[in-house]
Amino acid sequence: MAVTTTPAPPSGTAQSRHAAAARRRRRRGAAARQERAAGYVFLAPWLLGLLAITAIPTLYSLYLSFTNYELLSPGHWVGLANYRRMFGADPKYWHSVTVTLTYALVAVPLKLSAALGVALLLHRERRGIGLFRGLFYLPSLLGGSVALAIVWQAVFSRGGAVNGALALVGIHGRPWVNDPDTVLGTLVLLAVWQFGAPMVIFLAGLKQIPTELYEAAAVDGAGWWRTFRSVTLPMLSPVIFFNLILEVIHAFQAFTPAYVVSNGTGGPADATLLYTLNLYIQGFANFKMAYASAMAWILLAAAALLTALLFTTSRFWVHYSDGGER
Amino acid sequence: MPASPEPPHGPTRRHLLTTAGALGVGVPLALAGCGGSSKSGNTGATKVELAVYWWGAQTRADITDKVLALYTQKHPEVTFKKQWLGSSTSYYDKLSTMAAGGSAPDLFQLDDNGLAEYTNRNVALDLKRYVGSKISVDKFPQSLRNAGSVGGKIGGVAAAENTPALYFDKTTIKQLGLTDPATGMTWEQLVDFGAQVFTKSAGKTYGTMDPAADYKALQVWLRQQGKELYTPDGKFAFTVDDLTAWLAFWAGAAAKKATPPADLIHTANTGDVTKQLISTKKGVTAFLWSNQLSALAKGTDHELGMATYPGDAKGQWARASMYWAGFSGSKHPDTIADVINFLVNDPDAGTLLGAERGLAPNLDVRASVKSTLKAADQTSVAFESALTGKFGPTPPVPPKGHVQVKKLLIDAAESVQFKKATPAAAASSFLGQATAAISS
Repeated sequence: MAVTTTPAPPSGTAQSRHAAAARRRRRRGAAARQERAAGYVFLAPWLLGLLAITAIPTLYSLYLSFTNYELLSPGHWVGLANYRRMFGADPKYWHSVTVTLTYALVAVPLKLSAALGVALLLHRERRGIGLFRGLFYLPSLLGGSVALAIVWQAVFSRGGAVNGALALVGIHGRPWVNDPDTVLGTLVLLAVWQFGAPMVIFLAGLKQIPTELYEAAAVDGAGWWRTFRSVTLPMLSPVIFFNLILEVIHAFQAFTPAYVVSNGTGGPADATLLYTLNLYIQGFANFKMAYASAMAWILLAAAALLTALLFTTSRFWVHYSDGGER
Repeated sequence: MPASPEPPHGPTRRHLLTTAGALGVGVPLALAGCGGSSKSGNTGATKVELAVYWWGAQTRADITDKVLALYTQKHPEVTFKKQWLGSSTSYYDKLSTMAAGGSAPDLFQLDDNGLAEYTNRNVALDLKRYVGSKISVDKFPQSLRNAGSVGGKIGGVAAAENTPALYFDKTTIKQLGLTDPATGMTWEQLVDFGAQVFTKSAGKTYGTMDPAADYKALQVWLRQQGKELYTPDGKFAFTVDDLTAWLAFWAGAAAKKATPPADLIHTANTGDVTKQLISTKKGVTAFLWSNQLSALAKGTDHELGMATYPGDAKGQWARASMYWAGFSGSKHPDTIADVINFLVNDPDAGTLLGAERGLAPNLDVRASVKSTLKAADQTSVAFESALTGKFGPTPPVPPKGHVQVKKLLIDAAESVQFKKATPAAAASSFLGQATAAISS
């Protein structure tokens, strides 16, 4: 929040005082202008970067989505043709929407539950707790890395470690990453495994809950479950809400694991054709850059819409301890 | 220009002074570096650096390094900045990105998957004014002479020649007491053979690769029936019934246990040599190109054999395995043409290149390097030479959109293999999407 210091209004009524005040204002105005200018100068590198690298290309892609531009040849205005094709004549598009929604619907709740569960276990101060927090956070440091996806591919392949372990207990495994029925599950598992970032946020949120609430609950004879439901969850709901929005957007943008596991094809049988992967294939392998731009804008609109929807529902379940003042 | 040391962030006054001292050393050096290259521009021979880009395995990289070094040795003013990638899929992704940014490499490798795309979109330099003068194709066989021409332009010059080849694992077949697949066997015989491998090995080895997703296998199969994959004007030359029959044939083979489970087929469908059933010893055949024996042999201790794809060898043709192409935006088109001519016609270059990309396009070079080839490459050459005269006509260059068609065929075949669709449904879904891909 910006803090503005408003000068005290001039208290005198005499002409000279007015004149002096006006002079002062002018001087102050000049100084403020100068300061503003200096501010913009210091801001310039970042601002230029934002304009040149983010804002202009983003807006340009909106223009491109109304053309038939292909990667290596210029296009011309075609109006809504790309959007019409997307919604009416491209079964692949709808398939990728289904795959992405399935992925998000399963991965986000699982990941958040895992993060919250582990955060609950790790938030009490014990000896060596820092080590455990670090260990649980470790996987998410590796992020959406290519190396990790390759490891995943090996671990869940026909002769991989998972099937090796299953064989020890007499279960005949399956080629998890090469089977269209299970490959999306392995990607979900990869996402869930990287629960570190929301976990850390949950830990911070848990620390914010005043201990007297727990003490009061204990005095009232509330058990663990009751305390969790009536104290922890409501007090944590703003943090849950924050994590939820972040993770939903994250899930919509998932790309690397699907790209690596399927060698950039979205296979087997299009089971890993996530929205962003489809977008990438359209733009860079099939050269349909205008179509890919249109897809990107629909993704943006969908993410914005979903976030707005979550905000609307938040009034029913998100509890702000400052009395709902937002 | 050599990079001068950068001042560290958040400098103190003393820090600045020491940095200035360090810069004092760096700047003259940097200036000297700039002066060096501009001065040599005035002394006659202009220094030229060409960026070269190709895909392939390590072997190809070693060979290409050597052959480019040989060119520099003969023309010291020309040097090369080399870049290569192992997989042709990511190769094309990167090439298209570079080309869109106007910074495509001066000299790059293409194959039928990219030739029409890059020539029609004027990314590939039109070599028409060089072919016949600076680039000689007189010694090329007829089938390769015009191989790189698309719609009146010449987008590439054939770098080598190959043809589809069926590889098989002789060692395993012998252990099972079966006879090797041979050129001229029918598709049905191959399926029977695959089923026998499965039975005789008690289910340990999955007979033959299922090439339903492989456009070149489909193309050979179509050509044997007097049909084609594409018409000369870039439309499909087969019907939905043809494709249904093709997919149904392989679904039948799977039912007879002649082919492996769908996930193994999927892994091999990448076309990656190291993921073929022969390399992983899960099966005994691989549907590849005739120049890939040496790469394939590296991954296995078993003896490998070669045959044509099943059916009449007329379905096959001598094709340009790859093309050398230049970038239309390059500042050195003459040098590019000279390097291409060197790569395809120079006997010393031919000796270094061997048969790694396929047979040398220049017949004289092909004959002269024969004796110096490695054993695996000699087998490839003998295989292909024996077929000369049996080949069918050269098919039209695939239209732009072919890359997408290839991927859609993999989707269609896999949806049948994973039992997500019937052959008829997969075929009609393929034709709908693929027709849109090549017509837009």
